[in-house]
Amino acid sequence: MRVILESKVRKKPSLPIEAEAIIPRNFLKGTDLVVFEGNKERTLSELFWIFVEGTAVSPENIEVVLKGDTSRIKRVGEYMDTGTILIEGDIGMHCGNFMSGGTIEIRGSADAWLGREMRGGTIVCRGNAGHYCATGYRGEKKGMQGGTVEVFGNAGDFCAEYLAGGTVHIHGHTGDFPGVEMRGGELLIEGDATRPCGNMKNGSCVILGTVHDLLPTFEKSGTHLLPERNLEMDVYTGDVANRGKGTMMVASRALRR
Amino acid sequence: MTELWVKNACVIDPIRGINGEIMDIAIRDGRIVESVSDRADVIDAHRCLTLPGGIDSHTHVSGTKVNFGRYMSPEDMRAGRTKRRGKMHVTSGYYVPTTFGNSYRYSAMGYTTLLEGAMAPLEARHTHEEFTATPHQDMLANTLFDGNWAVMDAVREHDVRKAAAVVAWTLNAARGYAIKLTNPGGTEAWGWGDDLTSIHEQVPHFAVTPAEIITTLIQANELLRLPHSVHLHCNNLGKPGNYQTTLDTFELVPDLNPARQSLYATHVQFHAYGGGTWRNICSKAEEITRSINSKPQIVMDMGQIMFCRTMTMTADGPMEFNLHCLHHNKWSNHDVELETGSGIIPVTYSKKSAVNCIMWAIGLELALLTKSPWQCLLETDNPNGAPFVKYPEIIGLLMSKRYRDEECATLHAETEKRTSLWALERELDWHEIAVMTRAGQAKALGIASQGKGHLGIGAEADIAIYPIRTDMVDPAREYRKVVEGFQKTRYTIKRGRVVSRDGEIIVDGANATFWVNAKVPEDIRMENDKEFIRRFEQFYTVRMSNYPVQDLYLPRGRCIETEAML
Repeated sequence: MRVILESKVRKKPSLPIEAEAIIPRNFLKGTDLVVFEGNKERTLSELFWIFVEGTAVSPENIEVVLKGDTSRIKRVGEYMDTGTILIEGDIGMHCGNFMSGGTIEIRGSADAWLGREMRGGTIVCRGNAGHYCATGYRGEKKGMQGGTVEVFGNAGDFCAEYLAGGTVHIHGHTGDFPGVEMRGGELLIEGDATRPCGNMKNGSCVILGTVHDLLPTFEKSGTHLLPERNLEMDVYTGDVANRGKGTMMVASRALRR
Repeated sequence: MTELWVKNACVIDPIRGINGEIMDIAIRDGRIVESVSDRADVIDAHRCLTLPGGIDSHTHVSGTKVNFGRYMSPEDMRAGRTKRRGKMHVTSGYYVPTTFGNSYRYSAMGYTTLLEGAMAPLEARHTHEEFTATPHQDMLANTLFDGNWAVMDAVREHDVRKAAAVVAWTLNAARGYAIKLTNPGGTEAWGWGDDLTSIHEQVPHFAVTPAEIITTLIQANELLRLPHSVHLHCNNLGKPGNYQTTLDTFELVPDLNPARQSLYATHVQFHAYGGGTWRNICSKAEEITRSINSKPQIVMDMGQIMFCRTMTMTADGPMEFNLHCLHHNKWSNHDVELETGSGIIPVTYSKKSAVNCIMWAIGLELALLTKSPWQCLLETDNPNGAPFVKYPEIIGLLMSKRYRDEECATLHAETEKRTSLWALERELDWHEIAVMTRAGQAKALGIASQGKGHLGIGAEADIAIYPIRTDMVDPAREYRKVVEGFQKTRYTIKRGRVVSRDGEIIVDGANATFWVNAKVPEDIRMENDKEFIRRFEQFYTVRMSNYPVQDLYLPRGRCIETEAML
């Protein structure tokens, strides 16, 4: 079954919509769902043109497609456990909060807190991701714990903060402090990064681009060849300031040509 | 004139020696009276368990460090959210909830009086402001004197009268209720990055020892005739092998007051560790309770921990630093000039940790091995050991050996070897629970004479009616019913008004704040003491005239006046 939600033109298009109801499982019983626009409760049909194609008996077979201006829609896919969500444009904050299964594909860019405290499943973002991609929320000491986040563009600051499990793959650059407070999982950054992995406890981070302002609390422990890319990497252990046992690999300058 | 008639109540009122009698209670204008007119509102208690309103004799719910705990844990504000509903404000938070959250949850559990465990006099205004926003409980504030410079100067000069006068002035200025000593001397040493490891070690620059501070203030407390005794958080909290310090401290305590204890030792679970390192820590609850059982002049409370995520907050700054070194998590440290310090860190008590399991067992051992329930009161040092919403579970554990056995089976294997909990058969009864949750507190805090903790004629009509039929529930087997029953009262009556019904708050509260004004003779009053004023103006960053809390901060203050014997 495919549920297509095409956003209607709104009087105040900048008002955020809190749409934690948009997860595939909820469409099993119909499209009679409730979201909040600002502080007003709205039914889904007030904000979207809804098209349903086919039927489904289990939520795994449900695909939700979001079209039109979706850049102010927050919390899409929160607590999602199965099925597929396809977003054709940009998406608002907190997409895929606490997600434990299924797939979210974003053709445009994602705002902040993409896949925060995710437990499982897959998020693919073809554009850029905002700040705090794949992290924990304010004060939370366990961020993303499982699953995969792949961003083809750049990510903002604090990408993969408090990462505890799963993999995060950023094809572009990241902002300040990627992988800070990491305690597990894998972070791969193909572009550049600034001050990565501060206070890291465990897990591994691979950076193929340039690292700006590498923190002095990382200890170089050797080199390693990445065979699939034929790149020689400098291996660092840290963050020693926090008795950390994490691994950070940075492409060696000498061989990067 | 408002009247209320509670009929068919199964009353347990330990202070008046009533144990499970079916009786009626008449209330007029917030006080319990002989009888009321037939126009009174009637509540039928249906023979359910009816107790005086609960009293928590040591909890941290208001003040600067509690509030800083809130700042530090935005993640906690995602838990326990309730919407605004009827008379109820919005609440949020689980282990450091908003003030209204604290008040409503205590009220739902039948608690009507709380003692804030530690208030720094310099920061008293904040505490009193939060008291007014904790509307359903009468509040009292323990005032910190552990590193007070003027007190330590008096102790060094062996001048008990002067120490008493300083205490009287400060209690009056801070609108405090009792003397609290938190790691006496240690918090001042922490100002120099140091801690004291024994009660006979000297405080840097002051040439006094914790033992001298404790004994002097116990005497000063009696000279001032304060309603409560000295409230002590012993030195060396949370260090393996600290039980010896605790026992040494208990040996210092004379029996000076026939009406109540001379020392209230708080959260003793944290002070009852044997061994020398975290690897070989073991329970010394038997030694501690042997000492308590032979010393009627001491009352303690459990400081039970429960397995959950929580926040530790105490004036004991150096201890929190040690904990921070263990956990490597966020940490706050604070110095209150000339008075005390504080520290805050979040912790998670886990069944996977042998140390946590042993701590859990020690708390229960203390309660079960103390012969008189009047000497071991139930609390968790909220939120240090666990948030207070866990009290019903602790009651269940104390009343049922089977519940304990089931819990014990899930603990770390080391626990059985290093504690004696497995061998304890004792199961407390309803009367003992009533003592440990209200009557004992009222007596220990000296507020029974204010009409708290009992249901005699003239007492304040603070009543908790729990949906438990004591004649039909066997707590040893049906402990789940006990736990559920104590979680939510059918009615909580505060000063003659029903404030909470089945956990729902139905009126705006109007609590009172009790404070003590101990009158000392003109010649030794601190406001006439030139040397005290000079040092105050020299060292404090506030003027002495700006220091006392104005009455504005206590819209419903209730002053208890005492005549000092000086």
